[in-house]
Amino acid sequence: MSELNKKADLFDGILKSKGIEKYTYSIRTSEKQELNLENGEFKLMRTVFNNTCTLSVWLGEKMGTVNGNDITDEALAALVDSGIAAAQSSPDDPAHDIAPDQGKDLFRQGVYEVDLDRFIDRIKEAFETIKTDYPKVQVMTAIGSFDRTNGIKRNSNGTEFVTEGGVYSMVLEFSAKDGDKTTGMDYAFVLTKSLDKPLIELGDFRFRLENIAKALEAKPVEGKFEGTVVLTPSMTGEFLSIIVQNYASDMVVVDGTSLWLDKAGEKVASDKLTVAFKPYDDRIVLGERYTGDDFRSEDFTLIDKGVLTNHKLSLYGSKKTGRPCIKNTGFDLVVEPGDAAFEDMIKGIDKGLLLGGFSGGQPGTNGEFSGVAKNSFMIENGKITGAVTETMVNGNLGEIIKNIKCISKELICDGTTVLPYVAVDGIVVSGK
Amino acid sequence: MLQDIIGSKRELFADGVQTVLRGQENRTRRVVILKGNLVQNMRSEVKGINARVNKNGTYGFASIAEYSPEAAEKVIKAATENAVFLARHSGRNILLPASTGTGTLPLNADIVDTEQKEIIELCQTIDKHIEEKYPDLTSRTVVYYEDSQDRIVYSSDAFSGHLVTPRCYIYIMMSSESKDGVPVEMFKAFGGFGSLKDNFSKPEDMYEDIDKLYKRLMDKREGVYAEAGYKTVVLGGLMGGMLAHEAVGHTVEADLVRGGSVAGPSLNKQVASGLVNMVDFAHTFDGKPCPLPVFLDDEGTKAEDAWLIKDGILTGYMNDRETAEEFGMKAAGNARGWSFSDEPIIRMRNTCILPGKNSVEEMIASVDDGYYLIDSGNGQADLTGEFMFGVTCGYEIKNGKLGRALLDTTVSGVAFEMLKTVDMISDKVEWSSSGFCGKKQPMAVGMGGPNMRCKIMIGGR
Repeated sequence: MSELNKKADLFDGILKSKGIEKYTYSIRTSEKQELNLENGEFKLMRTVFNNTCTLSVWLGEKMGTVNGNDITDEALAALVDSGIAAAQSSPDDPAHDIAPDQGKDLFRQGVYEVDLDRFIDRIKEAFETIKTDYPKVQVMTAIGSFDRTNGIKRNSNGTEFVTEGGVYSMVLEFSAKDGDKTTGMDYAFVLTKSLDKPLIELGDFRFRLENIAKALEAKPVEGKFEGTVVLTPSMTGEFLSIIVQNYASDMVVVDGTSLWLDKAGEKVASDKLTVAFKPYDDRIVLGERYTGDDFRSEDFTLIDKGVLTNHKLSLYGSKKTGRPCIKNTGFDLVVEPGDAAFEDMIKGIDKGLLLGGFSGGQPGTNGEFSGVAKNSFMIENGKITGAVTETMVNGNLGEIIKNIKCISKELICDGTTVLPYVAVDGIVVSGK
Repeated sequence: MLQDIIGSKRELFADGVQTVLRGQENRTRRVVILKGNLVQNMRSEVKGINARVNKNGTYGFASIAEYSPEAAEKVIKAATENAVFLARHSGRNILLPASTGTGTLPLNADIVDTEQKEIIELCQTIDKHIEEKYPDLTSRTVVYYEDSQDRIVYSSDAFSGHLVTPRCYIYIMMSSESKDGVPVEMFKAFGGFGSLKDNFSKPEDMYEDIDKLYKRLMDKREGVYAEAGYKTVVLGGLMGGMLAHEAVGHTVEADLVRGGSVAGPSLNKQVASGLVNMVDFAHTFDGKPCPLPVFLDDEGTKAEDAWLIKDGILTGYMNDRETAEEFGMKAAGNARGWSFSDEPIIRMRNTCILPGKNSVEEMIASVDDGYYLIDSGNGQADLTGEFMFGVTCGYEIKNGKLGRALLDTTVSGVAFEMLKTVDMISDKVEWSSSGFCGKKQPMAVGMGGPNMRCKIMIGGR
């Protein structure tokens, strides 16, 4: 029996000895080996050993949640007392609940043993490639990390999920410099379970490095126009995440402010758009295996060919509103590809913008967005031309997904999402 | 509060390296009431020990989620091994920075642990007040958030001490609809340094400000989009603080200067109008405690103010010990880690544009056609100083008088260009401290600014 199982048995005993009949908890241990580089040099090696224990306790229909990182026997007993106090303070609310018994299972994902020397070699190789292929790019910081987590989830309904997993990641922060000219910063990230391929070939590292080098000659857009805007995969992900939060999540459905409140089963987007959360997709490195309310995770398609299938509600949101509960928390975003090659998407645009980043106010529930286009390029007469600076974009998130011109065949997978380029109309681009 | 059980482990610090040992506990309390429903009721305690070892510019760091003398021994050993291992792959070979002083700082405050019941009752009282007084709102949310850092720091060649930073806030969000049925929202944070009792002993003290928030929301229901373009604006104090932090502050963090920020070639040059002065305050402003006072950083540097802009000229950066040596400046206590598992990196403390001589009223009266921009939802900037702030509360100014409210919009610009257009600065500073700054790790920071008249790009529709 593993140490975590023994801890869980002990924890069950403490909870039962204190008369707690309904509870759910997870206990995790984690280890991080992190390499930090500054301006191309290894500067810091960081090792983190951490634990997490999260416990929710019910007293009748009162619920409280407590969290700590001390998992000694005494600390677990104290955590139960703290959970009881939190629950006693709460008003009755039958909507707080956990899933019925989901059985027992072991989920192993990723890689279990770190190969630190090979990882260091891959990082060095990435820097050599950047130096050769992108001489004007300077990588300000790079963080390579190996993270391993073991966990156990149990609840009073009988569910027991054991998870084991490990993963490599690399994040780069970079800009370009040529004499006195410098660009703004861009970031790229990838999560992988294998060191078989050079890290630089994963995700969209090369696309972003190439673009930042071109951004040295950035100019403001002259005047104002409404044209076709091509969202890069990372922008597609960023905008869709806000749309899910502002139109289809617990908060906006429970309080009734969602503009999609009565749209389940109806068309809310172009029929070209299919948006799903797929924890079991092979391209997702560490997919969700159980939800925050203890269901086994299932794949969930939120928008199917433009139609909102259901709101993405937790068990709490479901019980509050009488709508279906979704057994998926909403990580692992996968957007189905279209039939257009990226190159052809650009060819079909007379005047538009390739939007590589957005620095803007957090859009509210009305979906209005307004901000600065970052790492972005003008598209003119079917070609990507100059990089832009001091250029604003604004529009409405709910509207632009109705106005999708095409979606790329190409998909970018960074280990956490699978996303295409999406060309939309209805965004206003304005310069100084 | 942490008990000091790690001090005796200083004897394990190796010769020829710089070592800092830190024990830390972070506590979090969070209660969320959405339209009367308690949707979150959470308490969290995270603690452990870390050590950082600097061996000629190569750093080893290790942390363990355990607060014990044995854990202290383990992290010192592991951090030393990490530094040695990495030195084999690193080309760094930098002389260790000289000591800037040694000593022990006294405990600065206490952390009071409020019962969850009291927190929930406070939120329910405020929620009930809002529900009864403003029944026409489409939604309302009351959030209580509290976090505290409790740190014991021992360094091999600098200061040591036991310091705490408790803070707590109540966030109120109100939603309504415009006449066209489009949702509009307004938000305000209350609170600051200290415990619930320090900040919220009388909830009714908040009601006047809640009234103002409601009025602004009602104004926003009738709001208009700002006309896009380059406009004269009076930037409110909260926006001024955001500008100080996001658009200037980050570019003058010395690690980002080293990474190529615009502040590198701008040192000792005019970057702002001569009216503009900016300081990253350590713990005291105008004879009073700053929103989030810092007395000692996580490298053991005793905290002092860091002057950044004087009479419009960029005069300094925020440093850790290594960059201070590199740039010939003095480390002022900016190296901070958020959690026990976080290494210290260069962070702001209480970054502020200093007040001027004008009143807000005369500044508004001086604008024929422009905007008064009061509050921001969020802001971002990059190494070039190009910034963007979301504007969640603002009004037109027409012929020197406030006009219609604005719907959400965005302002943007390049900091060192925009600051040169500042031609009036108000005589009072507004502070905020309720959010987090994100830079690898989160960090609690204070931001302060006066009202400033300037020219800025504003987004429209």
